[in-house]
Amino acid sequence: MSNHIALENVSQSFSAEETKVELFNNLNLTINQGQSYAITGPSGTGKSSLLMLMSGLENPSSGSCTYVENGQKKSLTLLRENIGFIFQQFHLLPELTALNNVALPLKLRGDKQALTKAKTWLDKVGLSHRLAHKPLQLSGGEQQRVAIARALVFEPKFIFADEPTGNLDQHNATEIADLLFACCQENNAGLILVTHSHALANRAEHIFSLADGHGIATAIEQLEAVS
Amino acid sequence: MNSANIKLAVHFFQQEKTLAHQKYLRFIQGLLMVFIIALSQSSDTVQSYLHENLQNLLGADVVITQQESLNNNQLQEIENIARALVVTQQVSSTLTHNGLWQRAQIKAVGDGYPLQGQLSIADSPQGDVQGVYSGPNIGEIWLDARLLVGLSVNVGEYLTLAEQSFLVAKVLVHEPDRLMEGHNVDMRAMINAADITKLGFPAEQVQYRYLITANKQQSTALIQWQKDNLPGAQLHHKQGAHPLALFWKRTENFIGLTSIILFFMAAIALEQLSQTQIHKEQYFSAICLSLGSSLKSCIQLSVVKWCLSFATLLPAVLVVSALFYGAVVIWLQATFVEITWQWNTWLAIKSVAAIAIILMIMQLPVWLSLKSSTVAQLVNPPKTDSNLLLTKISSVVVLCAIAFAYSDNGLLTAMVVSSIAVSICLMIIISWLSLTIGEKVSQRFSGLVPFTLFMMKQRLLAKSTQILGIGLCTFLLLFTLMLLKDLGNTMSAYQRQHDGNLLISQATQTQMLDIEQLASTENIEVRQVKPYLRAKLIKINDTPLDEFSQKPSDSLSTLGRAIRLHWSQDIPANNRIVEGSWWAENTENWQQISVEQEIMTDLGLNIGDRFTLFINQQAIDFTIVASHVYRSGGGSITFWLQMPTAAIDHIHAPIFNMASIELSQTQWPLLNQLWQKHPTLRMVSLKEMTERFDRILAMVTQVISGFSLLIIILASVVILASVQTLEDKEKKKNSIIMSFGFNKPTCLKLNIIEWLFTAAIAALGAISGTYLAGMMIYQSQFSIAYQPNFWWLLATLTLILALVTSFGIYASRKSLKTSIRQLLAEN
Repeated sequence: MSNHIALENVSQSFSAEETKVELFNNLNLTINQGQSYAITGPSGTGKSSLLMLMSGLENPSSGSCTYVENGQKKSLTLLRENIGFIFQQFHLLPELTALNNVALPLKLRGDKQALTKAKTWLDKVGLSHRLAHKPLQLSGGEQQRVAIARALVFEPKFIFADEPTGNLDQHNATEIADLLFACCQENNAGLILVTHSHALANRAEHIFSLADGHGIATAIEQLEAVS
Repeated sequence: MNSANIKLAVHFFQQEKTLAHQKYLRFIQGLLMVFIIALSQSSDTVQSYLHENLQNLLGADVVITQQESLNNNQLQEIENIARALVVTQQVSSTLTHNGLWQRAQIKAVGDGYPLQGQLSIADSPQGDVQGVYSGPNIGEIWLDARLLVGLSVNVGEYLTLAEQSFLVAKVLVHEPDRLMEGHNVDMRAMINAADITKLGFPAEQVQYRYLITANKQQSTALIQWQKDNLPGAQLHHKQGAHPLALFWKRTENFIGLTSIILFFMAAIALEQLSQTQIHKEQYFSAICLSLGSSLKSCIQLSVVKWCLSFATLLPAVLVVSALFYGAVVIWLQATFVEITWQWNTWLAIKSVAAIAIILMIMQLPVWLSLKSSTVAQLVNPPKTDSNLLLTKISSVVVLCAIAFAYSDNGLLTAMVVSSIAVSICLMIIISWLSLTIGEKVSQRFSGLVPFTLFMMKQRLLAKSTQILGIGLCTFLLLFTLMLLKDLGNTMSAYQRQHDGNLLISQATQTQMLDIEQLASTENIEVRQVKPYLRAKLIKINDTPLDEFSQKPSDSLSTLGRAIRLHWSQDIPANNRIVEGSWWAENTENWQQISVEQEIMTDLGLNIGDRFTLFINQQAIDFTIVASHVYRSGGGSITFWLQMPTAAIDHIHAPIFNMASIELSQTQWPLLNQLWQKHPTLRMVSLKEMTERFDRILAMVTQVISGFSLLIIILASVVILASVQTLEDKEKKKNSIIMSFGFNKPTCLKLNIIEWLFTAAIAALGAISGTYLAGMMIYQSQFSIAYQPNFWWLLATLTLILALVTSFGIYASRKSLKTSIRQLLAEN
């Protein structure tokens, strides 16, 4: 059985102005390494919260979120070092060049080959000619390519991407999506996307569509893989 | 400006006042105001006290002081102008009793003394004080309580002075003309005028003081008469300035000048805060513009908000200033008995106005930045801070204005400003070098330390500012607390080595012969002997000294009294020429003079300028041909003014000597013989000199420690302000790092490493700055090698690292409270 993240009977709720808001109730999900998933749904249905639960950054109100490796259940916190994030706003460090932004996770891990590996990844995302450029000198599409390279350079088992094409035009969005799916596949990384874009969601093997029931996400639907 | 805009400004001020950057801004403004108001109030109180003191303690309406007695004609002329005249004679002498000796000022008074006010005496040191209107009887001596204790003598006993026996009749408590002693803390004794002639003091050792009763017109006439007839004499009158007024004005100026450091620190903090402020104000203005407001209204809103902030700060500032001022008054009471708290409202208003102008200049870049606000900013936020240069220019303008306002001594200003500038440059260079080299060296490595160095290098400007703030604060503390201590120790050791352990500051020719005779019979080593005569500078280039400059200055103050004039054929071994040229050997042109460089700089003199010196009732012109400075290797006795040896054949004046000798422990009692024979012989032991130095050091340390406290507070604000400015960036950086799979402890470790580096660079800068300043001061002022205590330095370094790192981490705690969710939330 492949390594996977398992959400079992997960419920998530929060209190706002003396009212309890329930986001999910008894949710059961499995996220396999090497496969792609899209989370869609209207704003406020808890897409980002689900992302946080899956990545182990937040704990559920009830139920369990675990990482299963070679059949053994482990805490999700043990997976933290093997998770990468990609954001809609790219969130590159403005002081660093593209090369140093990509090398950053490796440098922090003490990898002596950090710069060489970063160069390879920038080459993969088609930015070998932009190594010395700082984020402000790059276009939005180029910045997101750098962000993808940075998220994958330390070879994480899972990538969580929050609206990765939300800030890009149609042309760039398609290119970035191609790149993201290809790179994750090549790296055997699980990809979990949060997106409003149907086109992007439809490229994922699995889609989780969060429906809005009176402002509370009450149902989750697993659709058949499209791509 | 319409009332709606004012209401809006009030509303926004209320909303913004709780923001962190506004709080820091108000804190800095408040601190500067408290400093300036407390300083000006304290200074004003001292000046008022001195004025009051002058009215009550001059003991006469006019006092003329000079080294020689007036002749009958002169006395007659004064009596023709004024109503009453009384003469007193002062001599500095050494009293001995049962093997104990004490230096004291002996005053001889005759009929008519005191002229105004009354003498206070007592039968014992603890006895009741009684007022009397005449001095001691013939054969009696009155001693002050300290002198009684110092000599272990009681009222009713006899003591010997210059082989004459005197009955200790009373304890001298107060003299109505005590003011003339100024800050002189010498012990006091009083005898009858008839006795002083019996003591046979050399005439040139006796100072004559003429106390005169005169109304305003008579005083004016006397002032003119003194200028015409007694140019070498000193004249004080009730309408004039207190002899200490200039000294205290100079003290205020010196503290004011050092406040450049405070303003510099404030400028750094304000510059940091202005980045946040400019951003917020521009954003606010852009929104206002997008809603149809005019640019003028936006600027008006900003100005009114600032004025409101300033005005609401005032009550607290005035209360705290009053408290500080009160504390200063209490501290000053040790020096000025009966000084009281006297708040000067008009002065406070002027101080507030001055500081308001200064702060407005510092705020100007924020207001000017609003001129470039456009709605476009809301679509494309500006990527660079365009007003940073303007902020720096406004800071420089403020610092120059402060330096100008408080400058009264060119050399001092130059020294203070240049030492600050050197430290700043040094710290900037050290920050840049260490971060650049650190980043280059660690580039090939990975891990938390290389990453921290890399990020610090990327944020060099912001980091340098932090380092500068901390470094300057540490520099000042180290400089005052450690260096001055080392200076004292080194000086003592040096003087011991080169000058012996006893310095003879004034010996007549006869006295010197006796000293040399004693030295040869007792095998005492005489290390240096240098002759001099007393001269008073009365004119520079034919301009009377009191008209030459109205600004208080150290040199002018010293030159206002008679100073030592040395002569030498060759350049003395402990001098070197820095300007002009020394006279030829055996020159016949005797009216040449070499002047110490500090005086030349302070008074703005040039080679070729003329000095008129008043020597033993003769006015003699000299042309400045050279300027000299002190250098090591030839002993420490040096002179401000020097002339060719040929001059001594043309000048008829009493000759004195300065000398240094080395006494063994068993030879000290021999001094009693010398003092009994020559009570006016002025000698001071190395131990006494060291004690004097330690006393000065203790006072200076108190003042500087208080001052350093302000610097520490400002340095903390600089750290807080810089952390606040970078907080958003730091939060983002930490979140991004966490998105790579790292946890909060890793971010904390990075933070600790960064603060350790910041503290280490600041400490390195401060210690190097201190070391360099020490070397410079030692070389230029004392020409001795400075040997710092490296254990001290190491301990200081550790302390700085611990304190700054702890405070830095505490200040940055908010930036660690972040999560990846915040990055997601920005989408």
